[in-house]
Amino acid sequence: MKIRIDYDLCEGNAVCMKVAPEVFVVGEDDRARLLDPNPPESLRAKVETAVRRCPRQAISLED
Amino acid sequence: MRLEDVNLYDLDRWEQGVPHDMFAVLRKEAPVYWHPEPKGGRGFWAVTKYADVVHISKNPRLFSSYRGGTNIFDVPEEDLHVTRNLMLNMDPPQHTKYRRLVSQGFSPRRVAALEPHIRELTTRILDQVAPRGECDFVTEIAAELPLQVIAELIGIPQEDRHLIFDWSNKLVGFDDPEFRQDPNNMEEGKRVAAEMWAYAHQLAERRKREPGDDFVSKLMHAEVEGRRLSELEFDSFFLLLAVAGNETTRNLISGGMLALIEHPEQKQKLLAHPELLPTAVEEMLRWVTPVICFRRTAAADTEIRGQKIREGDKVVMFYISANRDEEVFANPDQFDVARSPNEHISFGIGEHYCLGANLARLEIRIMFEEILRRFPDMELAGSLRRLRSNFLSGIKSMPVRFTPERRRTTAAH
Repeated sequence: MKIRIDYDLCEGNAVCMKVAPEVFVVGEDDRARLLDPNPPESLRAKVETAVRRCPRQAISLED
Repeated sequence: MRLEDVNLYDLDRWEQGVPHDMFAVLRKEAPVYWHPEPKGGRGFWAVTKYADVVHISKNPRLFSSYRGGTNIFDVPEEDLHVTRNLMLNMDPPQHTKYRRLVSQGFSPRRVAALEPHIRELTTRILDQVAPRGECDFVTEIAAELPLQVIAELIGIPQEDRHLIFDWSNKLVGFDDPEFRQDPNNMEEGKRVAAEMWAYAHQLAERRKREPGDDFVSKLMHAEVEGRRLSELEFDSFFLLLAVAGNETTRNLISGGMLALIEHPEQKQKLLAHPELLPTAVEEMLRWVTPVICFRRTAAADTEIRGQKIREGDKVVMFYISANRDEEVFANPDQFDVARSPNEHISFGIGEHYCLGANLARLEIRIMFEEILRRFPDMELAGSLRRLRSNFLSGIKSMPVRFTPERRRTTAAH
């Protein structure tokens, strides 16, 4: 699973962190980061929810 | 309720409560429905299904906020250049540049740091009413917290916060004769905005001499594409932050309390399991949906759910209906403090996702933690009065009673 965060869009609303805390964290700089750049397939549903719920549409799932 | 009886402009009906029966018929029989409009309006598409509201929200290039603004009624062409200075009425990429000026101020980290202070403000607000055992929930409790918090963030002295309360009521309560003498008269709204702007200028002068860590101080030095904000841009930020920061949170707190009172078994459940409060807050957001709808204008010919939409048509997204969509929510007409998942759309989604969502959630959670702890038996003490509006789900007054608290000094030691 390959996840991309578009930093022109991300403004750190932290919705992704709420939905999939195993994968995303919002740091001191108010930007989302990937805790695990290659998360296991078992987290796919959660990541898909984060992609769908990101208010800025900043997250994409590339495979 | 039959489709031909649907009238989303029956404001008498809204004053009695949200016409959920109308929305149920629309979702089932005409999810993209051509709705006539009073006051000589040209009509609009009422969009009531969750998936369609999301689709419109996520396609700002096709469904513009800039073209005709975000209210159902049409702002006269000659006034659009003024209202377009509000971030609410911008499209990307312009919107993104302006939003960036203030978004860091509402980041989860900044907001989380406010928690102890917000709890202190909440405690003081509740201390005021605690010994009496009765109060008006709206003006004495629900309105106060968001008003005090946003006044601080903007840099408005606390003694002036009631000015903001009055101006907001007038600006968003345009269909309610209590706040506006003549709902058809645009001039009245302009006068209120002018008063608010004159006040913002005074404040800016003061902050020039005594700068602080507030939005007014920051916006005075903010730049977009290498130039300072114009006077009108500064004024528009001030208006949007002041109004959006108090009105909706107030209505959510009042509406959330009412939902708990009207569903005593849910309230008992929450009292027995305070750890459910985070899901309860989300359910209150879904249940109340403080912003009923926003409008977009089609920027090109398109289709929604097979319905042809012409360029220039008004498209109105009813969040309040999307939040009860049977295809998304199980038992949508049940108030369930433990509901999960709960992907309500009360803050919107896409470019215009509520900037204050994290702040609102924090204020609401703290307020209910304190109310449920201190006044678990709070109940209605009279009839409530709702805002006459099909734009905001508001409550103007709601008398409540509860077991009075003794002086806190005895409780604290």
